Amino acid sequence: MDDNRLLGLILVFAPLSILSFGGGQAIIADMQHQTVDVWGWLSANQFSDLFAISRAAPGPSTLIAALIGYQIAGIWGSIIATLAIYIPSSIVVYYATSWWQNHPDSRLKRSFERGLGPVAIGLLFAGALAIIESGPITLLMLVNLALCTAILYFTKFSPYKLVGTVALVFLGLNLVGF
Amino acid sequence: MSATKGQSQPEPDPHAPPQLETPSLWQLMMAFLKIGVTSFGGASRPMMHRESVEANKWLSDRDFIAGFALAQVLPGANPVNLALYVGLRARGVPGAAIAVLGMVLPAFCVILLMGYAYRELIAYPATHFVLAGVAGAGVAATLATGAKMATKLDRNWMTAIIALAVFIAVGVLHISMTPVVIVAIPASLAAAWVTDKGARDGR
Repeated sequence: MDDNRLLGLILVFAPLSILSFGGGQAIIADMQHQTVDVWGWLSANQFSDLFAISRAAPGPSTLIAALIGYQIAGIWGSIIATLAIYIPSSIVVYYATSWWQNHPDSRLKRSFERGLGPVAIGLLFAGALAIIESGPITLLMLVNLALCTAILYFTKFSPYKLVGTVALVFLGLNLVGF
Repeated sequence: MSATKGQSQPEPDPHAPPQLETPSLWQLMMAFLKIGVTSFGGASRPMMHRESVEANKWLSDRDFIAGFALAQVLPGANPVNLALYVGLRARGVPGAAIAVLGMVLPAFCVILLMGYAYRELIAYPATHFVLAGVAGAGVAATLATGAKMATKLDRNWMTAIIALAVFIAVGVLHISMTPVVIVAIPASLAAAWVTDKGARDGR
């Protein structure tokens, strides 16, 4: 059972690793689809919770893989998931670094720089939609989302301070009976 | 490796070996553990620059900037990719492994503790309520980043169509990401190749 889950973690995260252009945000939608709908390891609510924790935690956002691994297969799950999310992309970076150094400014390189952008942006917004859909969609949540987005887009307020502030506000709202 | 380049230039070659230092694997490990511990809040890039270029001369400024661009374009978490690049330039494959380990290990330990706390606290309804709010802030960070990144894309129809098509296929229609990117990435690369401006100058 547990072995199957460890193998499943590799099958889910290793391909996502290679596809994680622009960092972890691009693969959130597929990560949710795989762990919730395809493999049934997590409920949509749990996924949304783990996403929130990964955003409140330090380190790269791809470490959500460690959280998911821990949730469904304990410590070994977290280690296997973390290795699966970092090793394939690292191998790509290793080979690309060697290639890059021999091609300082080529048409192919410029095409890669410009061509991956639109795909990464489309995936990034798809990931945002997946998270919004997996949580409760209430007026309070939509106001929270709109306010936070405006603050982060228009000001230089630190995302980590914002996450802390939002956590305190929601804790307070919970105490007064929201 | 670029010793043949820049010899005709009057200024000193930034790749010249005497200027750069080679760290021991232990030094690399300690430097990246320090970066990993202190980079709460995503400040890992300036920390890495300080450790690898300013405080220790493991690589040149130019190499660091090239690595930064690479780390963003390639798959994988940007700070982890950059750590791998610095480690690779400084000490080859073992250096790369050690730099990534040092970078990820502190955050990995913290996130495990939070995962443990989550398992203990999930019985309380307040946990889910607070986390839903935090998830909102997390999504907001993604949206704000996405909006800022989108303003830096090329302004043409192809770019908009590709981004929108990928969003609808994966986000709205819930098609698996793999087939979508297998179609979208070659299409997008081809569009970028055709519209490349440098090619006209023969570059």
